[in-house]
Amino acid sequence: MDKENLSRRRFFNLVGWGSIAALLGGVGAATAKFFYPGVLYEPRATFNAGKPSDYVAPQAGETVVVDERWKKNQRVWLLRNREGIYGLTGVCTHLGCTPNWFPSEHLFKCPCHGSVYNPEGEPIAGPAPEPLYRPKIALDPAGNMIVSTGLLGIRRSNLQTTKKYKDVYWHEDEKAVIFKAPFFLAYKA
Amino acid sequence: MEEKKTSFQKTLDAIVKVILANPVYKSIFRTGYPSTALKRMAVMRSSFYMHIFPTKVGEHGLKLRYSWCMGGITFFLFLLLTITGVLLMFYYIPEENRAYNDMKDLRFMVPFGIILRNMHRWAAHGMVLTVMLHMMRVFYTGSYKAPRQLNWVVGVILLLLTLMLSFTGYLLPWDQLGFWAVTVGTNMASATPVLGYEGPFHDLLGVQIDNDIRFALIGGTRIGANALVRAYVWHCVALPLIATLLMIFHFWRIRKDGFSGPL
Repeated sequence: MDKENLSRRRFFNLVGWGSIAALLGGVGAATAKFFYPGVLYEPRATFNAGKPSDYVAPQAGETVVVDERWKKNQRVWLLRNREGIYGLTGVCTHLGCTPNWFPSEHLFKCPCHGSVYNPEGEPIAGPAPEPLYRPKIALDPAGNMIVSTGLLGIRRSNLQTTKKYKDVYWHEDEKAVIFKAPFFLAYKA
Repeated sequence: MEEKKTSFQKTLDAIVKVILANPVYKSIFRTGYPSTALKRMAVMRSSFYMHIFPTKVGEHGLKLRYSWCMGGITFFLFLLLTITGVLLMFYYIPEENRAYNDMKDLRFMVPFGIILRNMHRWAAHGMVLTVMLHMMRVFYTGSYKAPRQLNWVVGVILLLLTLMLSFTGYLLPWDQLGFWAVTVGTNMASATPVLGYEGPFHDLLGVQIDNDIRFALIGGTRIGANALVRAYVWHCVALPLIATLLMIFHFWRIRKDGFSGPL
């Protein structure tokens, strides 16, 4: 570069202000990073839910039995139908409240904004945009179910299927995923 | 006409004379009795406490039905909230097992605690109301127009800061209402484009529930101990500090621009 374009004064000006900008940028980035904790003291996303036989099988006339024993500590329901056991994460897909299970109506209802889910976790009313997430269920060598809600479980938007917002029931291709291991534990009494 | 003074009056005059000559008095009241317009303006200029006011106010600016004093009331409520808030901090510990009980203790066990907490609570509700009425007044009187555009922008930021102070204060009682309100409120942040784990384009940067913008906001994947402390620090230190700095600017700008005239 010739002298007119980059004089000595202009060079030092650029270097000076450039270093100040770099410093401020670095401080800004470090401050932003500071707000992301490196360790969490939250309940583990994986827990031992006991043996499948501990869960009541549906009686004649019933399709599914909702077990609420893990709701308070793990925010998970384990549901047993005639084919086996699956889980639903108790986090409303609308804005994250915990829905309640109403046995008489056979529905999950969220107290915050009125989303309603059926026992398959499909939203049938209210603002919820997609079904309840499903945790993974694996069996350990002793035959206990190890339930994992890592990243809250499998969800429709991760299934890479066509999203349909008006009809939010599970599609057949989605059912092929969620009703198979690891999201479903085949178990017949 | 010579006035005959009693010995009491003479003593009084002597005391006043001593006080007026005292360097401590003179360093506080620098201009003497404000008997002239010049001295009245000098009072405003030379006093730290008065200098936030303009040296002259047009008659229209004093009309109660012009400004409804809404900005002033908002500032008064902010001062009230600061004082009651500092007092509340003496008894409140932002910890999961303590927070709710401390709030209950403040209501039932701390002397005058229930008055203190209710003053803080109602002043907070009142401040949201008055700051909105203040904004409406500024809008309806056209006071946002040149040369006051910048102060309008600062005012809008102050409105947002007021709402953020309300929102962070909502979690602190650690009751069901606040807990779920803040769960819902912070979940909205997860719908932020690119930076929120449920927002559009979240996979561009590999954003998930444990590294998105909501995670930075609440310090975890769920409302817990970290979220409580963060709400506390934002509520008690960071946001009031930012609001104070902007308020200083806001008032200084009003002084420089003068009160807007009637329509």
